[in-house]
Amino acid sequence: MSGNHNNPSDQLNQGLVIFILLGFLTFVEYMIAIWNQNLLLLSVVATIKAGLVLYYYMHIYKLGNIDEGGSHHSLAWKTTTNRLGFWLFILSDAFLFAGLLTTRFNLLGLTRPHLDQQLGLIVTAVLLISSFFMNRAETQMKAGDTKGFALSTIITLVLGIGFVAGVVGVEWQEAPFGVADSAASGVFFMMTGMHAFHVLTGVIFLGIILRNGMKGVYSAENCWPVEAATVYWHFVDVVWIFFYPALYLIGIMA
Amino acid sequence: MKSPEVKFSKAIALFLGGQVVGLLLGVLIQTALAGVYNGAYFKDIASWLLGVLLALLGFFYGLIGYYGLVKGLVWQVLGTIAGGLLVSAIRFLMGLEPFDLAKFGFTEGGWVAGALIGAIAFLAGVGALTDWFKWAKGEKTFDHHQDPEGFIKYFGVSLDHKVIGIQYTVTSLFLLMVGGLFALIFRLELSQTGLEILSLQMYNSLMSLHGMVMIVSILVGIAGVINYLVPMLIGAQDMAFPRLNAFSFWIAIPAAILLLSSLALGGFDTGWTGYPPLSVRAPLGMSMFFVGIWVAGWSSILGALNLIVTVLRMRAEGMTAFRMPIFVWAATATSIISLTATQMIGLAFQLVLFQRLLGMPFFDAAKGGNPVLFQHLFWFYSHPVVYVFILPGLGVISELLPVFARKPLFGYKWIAMSSLGIALVGFLVWAHHMFSSGMNEYLRVPFMYSTLLVAVPTGVKFFSWVATLWQGRITRELATPMLFVLGGIVVFLLGGLTGPPNATVSTDLHLTDTYFIVGHFHDTMFGGYIFPFFAALYYWFPKATGKRLNEKLGKLHFWLMTPSFFVLTLFMMRVGLLGMRRRIADYDPALSFDPWHLAMTISAYLIALSVLVFIWNIIKTVKGEQNATGNIWKSRSPEWLVPSPMPPHNYDQPLKVVGEPYDYGLEGSKYIEFVNKEEHE
Repeated sequence: MSGNHNNPSDQLNQGLVIFILLGFLTFVEYMIAIWNQNLLLLSVVATIKAGLVLYYYMHIYKLGNIDEGGSHHSLAWKTTTNRLGFWLFILSDAFLFAGLLTTRFNLLGLTRPHLDQQLGLIVTAVLLISSFFMNRAETQMKAGDTKGFALSTIITLVLGIGFVAGVVGVEWQEAPFGVADSAASGVFFMMTGMHAFHVLTGVIFLGIILRNGMKGVYSAENCWPVEAATVYWHFVDVVWIFFYPALYLIGIMA
Repeated sequence: MKSPEVKFSKAIALFLGGQVVGLLLGVLIQTALAGVYNGAYFKDIASWLLGVLLALLGFFYGLIGYYGLVKGLVWQVLGTIAGGLLVSAIRFLMGLEPFDLAKFGFTEGGWVAGALIGAIAFLAGVGALTDWFKWAKGEKTFDHHQDPEGFIKYFGVSLDHKVIGIQYTVTSLFLLMVGGLFALIFRLELSQTGLEILSLQMYNSLMSLHGMVMIVSILVGIAGVINYLVPMLIGAQDMAFPRLNAFSFWIAIPAAILLLSSLALGGFDTGWTGYPPLSVRAPLGMSMFFVGIWVAGWSSILGALNLIVTVLRMRAEGMTAFRMPIFVWAATATSIISLTATQMIGLAFQLVLFQRLLGMPFFDAAKGGNPVLFQHLFWFYSHPVVYVFILPGLGVISELLPVFARKPLFGYKWIAMSSLGIALVGFLVWAHHMFSSGMNEYLRVPFMYSTLLVAVPTGVKFFSWVATLWQGRITRELATPMLFVLGGIVVFLLGGLTGPPNATVSTDLHLTDTYFIVGHFHDTMFGGYIFPFFAALYYWFPKATGKRLNEKLGKLHFWLMTPSFFVLTLFMMRVGLLGMRRRIADYDPALSFDPWHLAMTISAYLIALSVLVFIWNIIKTVKGEQNATGNIWKSRSPEWLVPSPMPPHNYDQPLKVVGEPYDYGLEGSKYIEFVNKEEHE
């Protein structure tokens, strides 16, 4: 599987294979957690998952395409510049989430809050499926299939809202603790809250590209906003790849 | 179109009127809230600050009408009220008390929501978001904006990096004076033992705000210099993302207003660091402080992002990494820190804010929280940020020395790498602020060594400066920028040499929280930022205006500021060594520090006077005629090879780098040449 397939069906296959791999690794993660709580193993699996998303869904290797340049007014030059800027923003945002993870491990250590495991698995699956459809949406746009793009984006958007509903609407209400009960409860609400906030901004972003895409603002060659929304959406998924084990799997229940 | 004089008189009249109306309004609001009138309301700082807000609003309205900045400020006030009312409505629906009438009207949650919505409203009002809304709606926008003629362009959204650079710089000077004013007030209190003019709460608020207002002033100031210079130095027409650039500047204005509003909303008493658990218990002003810095952080992060992309993507042909001007290296190193580490202080402040608002006990040890965690997150940004402050300044020193010594810069590559080295090592030193905080003791020694390691790249810079000066052809009559450069080197040397005693655990345990730290810190800030900043202003002022600042006044500025500054910091360090604690409003007369403190206070006022000389110089020069449109410093740098003031799109002909940047005095060497457009295409 190399990075550059141009054939739509090849890309569909690639997206599917990555999706299945990610699902399988999530299952492995869950099994490791049941089996022996090994922090190192869980980190390795999460890192592999994040690496797969970064490479195959977020196309981080495109940052290397600095040659597609020419005049500073050309579309290719502008896209490359925008991409670089957007990835730097992602890097900056990653520091925020890294800080939250630091906070979690500093305050909770190897314990975890009392949470609904089934719900955790369900919302994780919802977000993962949304990532698959996000990938579909981008490839369809780049293949010039506006209708397919719209459908995939709508599915992604609905799944995103479903994720937030699951976390904020169900998990927050079900949790057997309140925000002010302990540092651990504060950490849980802060981490899921910041993540849900990012999912919501992603949903707004998707709404914008959906509307503009259906209006015909983008074309296969000229669709940087679609790429940016895709990268953002997958980034939010990458964050959850680390947050899910940190909140649901690692450590013993406090 | 009225003449500028008429407008100015109108602005002054509206300024005074605004102050009176604001004061009366403040008294009225307080009377209404309390239900009974009290004469003391006329002395209340909140009413006076409301007056200042309305006075500034009136002043700018008189000057520019309902446009740009004025519109933004009005929208911010309305947004704040709307945000407060929104929270009140939610509280009402939840069955909670909607208002907090005994204190500040809105509840704390209301003020915080109002602050955030007000900041966004400001941006929408000023027009910094207009193009993005258009993009979201799928509409096209123009690549180039036409700025209005005359000075009014500085009060509205402009996408020109030169205008934004000047906007930043002027804002920075304004904040510098506000922060300096705070220092003058509490220095007066410290000039002798006993409490004379300030309450303890007011002392604490002013002392804390002096720190943070100065920090924001410095962040804004370096952003100004970087914004103005970097695109010119690399031969670009503008920054990579002009709209983001305008956004980064304009978001700093509501941030500064929020920060200053903390004074009116009860102040706070934690010092600029805002450590919990004290900051959890501090008055409402604490939250305004946190929100203000949080918002200012976005300015920093997005400005840094823009700069990195600009340097990576917009360099002129032939400008390889090691042919970039040294200032560009410094700006890049700085931006790497701002881009990433700023998130950590944002998170730290956000966590305290949530503990204050919702009771999430992150820093409450009784509920499993950990106050030391705050310090780790806080210093992970706040130590590297001092390198954000000084690296551009040290870059300015390296940039100007070869021009005035007429010699190549010694060890160019080492200097370039040392900026990067300081920035990267800076990420590994934060816990040296916490030797006495109760963190694990085994962490002390590694952090001590990593901190001492910073001295290596810094030493490289000093060696290069000395070697560049060595046998240089420095004219007898030193130009003002060169004076400030040399002053900066000496002051920064003092700051650098007083660093290792604080980094070494054994000595730091004695020195921590004393005036020695205050003296050391002011040395590094003056040597690394204030002196080079003024050097840069004197040096590039003709580039921006075509007018050279008066040399005599410039020298007066320097010779007033420098000796006063030495008295100030050397005495600070002396009393610190003898046991003077920092951050306290009063000290024991038996310590017999009174004369030392009096001398420090006098020096502080002399420094303030010197800054006033500088401001007067600027006003005088701006009113005068253009007398410096050419390459007055005989620089090799591209921006001086075109006439001053800089043309609207910088370089009409693209430029090409053909040699080394700092080969001053070498026969026949050339740094850049302009490419003929027709031939080029």
